[in-house]
Amino acid sequence: MSVLEVDDVVVEFDTDGGRITAVDGVSLHLATGETLGLVGESGCGKSTLARAIMQLVPMQRGSVRLEGIDLGSLSRRELRRMRHRIQMVFQDPRGSLDPRMNVSTLIGEPLRVHGIGDRASRAKAVAEAMELVGLPAAVADRLPSELSGGQQQRVGIARAIVTDPAVLVCDEPVSALDVSIQAQIINVLDELRDELSVAMLFIAHDLSVVRHLSDRVAVMYLGQIVETGTASEVFGEPRHPYTHGLISSVPRADAESAARLQTARRMVLGELPSLLDPPSGCRYRTRCPYATAQCAEAEPPPEPVGRAGGLHTVRCHHWRTIVSAAPEPQESATSQELAI
Amino acid sequence: MSGMPLLEVEDLHVTFRTASGPVHAVDGVSFTMKPGSSLGVVGESGSGKSVTARALLRLFAITDDVQISGAVHFDGQDLLRIDERRLRDVRGGQIGMIFQDPLTSLNPLMAVGEQIAESLRLHRGMSRSEAAAEAVELLARVGIADPEQRATELPSSFSGGMRQRVMISLAIACRPRMLIADEPTTALDVTVQAEILLLLDELRRSEGMALMLITHDFGVVAATCDDVQVMYAGKLVEKASMAHLFDRANHPYTEGLLRLVPRFEDAHTGRLHPIGGQPPITGGGGSSCAFAPRCSYAVDRCRSEVPPEVAVGPQHLSACWLATDRAKDTTEAGQPWRRAQ
Repeated sequence: MSVLEVDDVVVEFDTDGGRITAVDGVSLHLATGETLGLVGESGCGKSTLARAIMQLVPMQRGSVRLEGIDLGSLSRRELRRMRHRIQMVFQDPRGSLDPRMNVSTLIGEPLRVHGIGDRASRAKAVAEAMELVGLPAAVADRLPSELSGGQQQRVGIARAIVTDPAVLVCDEPVSALDVSIQAQIINVLDELRDELSVAMLFIAHDLSVVRHLSDRVAVMYLGQIVETGTASEVFGEPRHPYTHGLISSVPRADAESAARLQTARRMVLGELPSLLDPPSGCRYRTRCPYATAQCAEAEPPPEPVGRAGGLHTVRCHHWRTIVSAAPEPQESATSQELAI
Repeated sequence: MSGMPLLEVEDLHVTFRTASGPVHAVDGVSFTMKPGSSLGVVGESGSGKSVTARALLRLFAITDDVQISGAVHFDGQDLLRIDERRLRDVRGGQIGMIFQDPLTSLNPLMAVGEQIAESLRLHRGMSRSEAAAEAVELLARVGIADPEQRATELPSSFSGGMRQRVMISLAIACRPRMLIADEPTTALDVTVQAEILLLLDELRRSEGMALMLITHDFGVVAATCDDVQVMYAGKLVEKASMAHLFDRANHPYTEGLLRLVPRFEDAHTGRLHPIGGQPPITGGGGSSCAFAPRCSYAVDRCRSEVPPEVAVGPQHLSACWLATDRAKDTTEAGQPWRRAQ
């Protein structure tokens, strides 16, 4: 059963240059205990989508259902009562922690705000959350400024899980951290997946991290999900030219590294168009090496790839004919066979 | 001439005097670069990789209380000993530089074409009109569309990736013999990063420029550099060709860095392996291996004597007391960063 159902969400903003559609009809779902990775580059709308799911920005259309309840239909008061079931981990751990509160007060705060439990049960929940994220009991009395960057992010995660949420929304939780700290925090999130049955929406621009943590993946481009499926489908057999380009762009520590970047350059042409003047038809067509007149005329609908009832879908008119362009030579051979 | 190094750094030391005592940010670094070669310098934050690059050109803030010793031979002169006026000719003239954040290095109030032209007049003695034309040419060279128009625009009207291209055009304007790029793509999206890395590689080849690229990402080095050196606590702990390093990483710190990050080609392969502990905040200067406190292989000797650089293969050095033994162990257990798929 889906614990989170996001259906056809549209978020528009007024900017100095005019009105933009930051999120343009996005639908996704999360099952209990499942991790969905949301990838895409700056300005694709992934963070705005996260804020819309959290009901932090108004939606022009669509619905967000948490455990079957339509969050948009709730009064402010009712929404506040639901908040402990969906929590967020932010990019900058320092900026999201009140510098005057010590660690145990910070972690206990969401419980007090939501009026969950009594003093004793709250203290117990705080201790449990600290243990789950690997914070030693000795730091309970410290202020955020007395913690390392990694410990600060552990506090951020402990605050998010202390209310026992059904859904955790993580927006770039490791991108501000040094590499060795990143590894620690990724492991913390990985362990939480195993220990708790929390569903996770994991937003990041680092594809390697997303692949490492996610069961399923959704790729966003200019406000739309252009491809989604299991992590191995999307990253192993990408169908959308943009997904190909993203994957080939990841610099890997091997001998093919430079050759792969050349592929990336062929798959992602030119610059990101402005959201003030998005392309007609397919959003990706201005950067796509396969674009035809059809792509300018009609917006491609999400189409299922592979077996019926599968979760792998792609928004591209030409996905059937461009499989040979897969970034890995061996993979492209198999993909082609599959397509025939 | 071709066998002569372009850059020869000998026993470079950089020490900052701070309120809490001296920090040995660079602690006896020696290396050479040939003309047109490419070298990646890898390490965590605070390893001394950026300070090494800045020390080559004595690029420090006026408020830094810094001591530099050693020698930096570049093109027949010692950059640490020439006067400030000649050093200014080298900076941006024979050696170009680009940094992570192009905005801080560009004048926000001046059209980008004018900024490039200014450098051309200063370093190459061009006339106003020659410089303006060459600036447009340079913008085209780094892949900026409609360069005549874009040359008249302010840096703020460029996207992050285009701004970094502007920085690169400025850095190569005087046809430098060497380009130092300090985390040039860290702030960029991945497809933009790919473009910039390819551009750097192409310019290196077409201009015959040496490229020194500082990064924390071995993937970025693999895409752009033939050689790599790994820094820890102000010291070079391993030097090798990039191809050799993948197969035969020797130093435990290098191994740690390679195992630290999830690799894209691996689907979920269990937990990552963070390197425990933190780098010493005072840098190098100790009487033991600086990595020993974080090293799972450390033996008594590591805690009492500084390991020398040991040759473990062709053009391959590792500063580790266990280097020779580790070089012999080419089994899978000896190379845990090469995880099975």
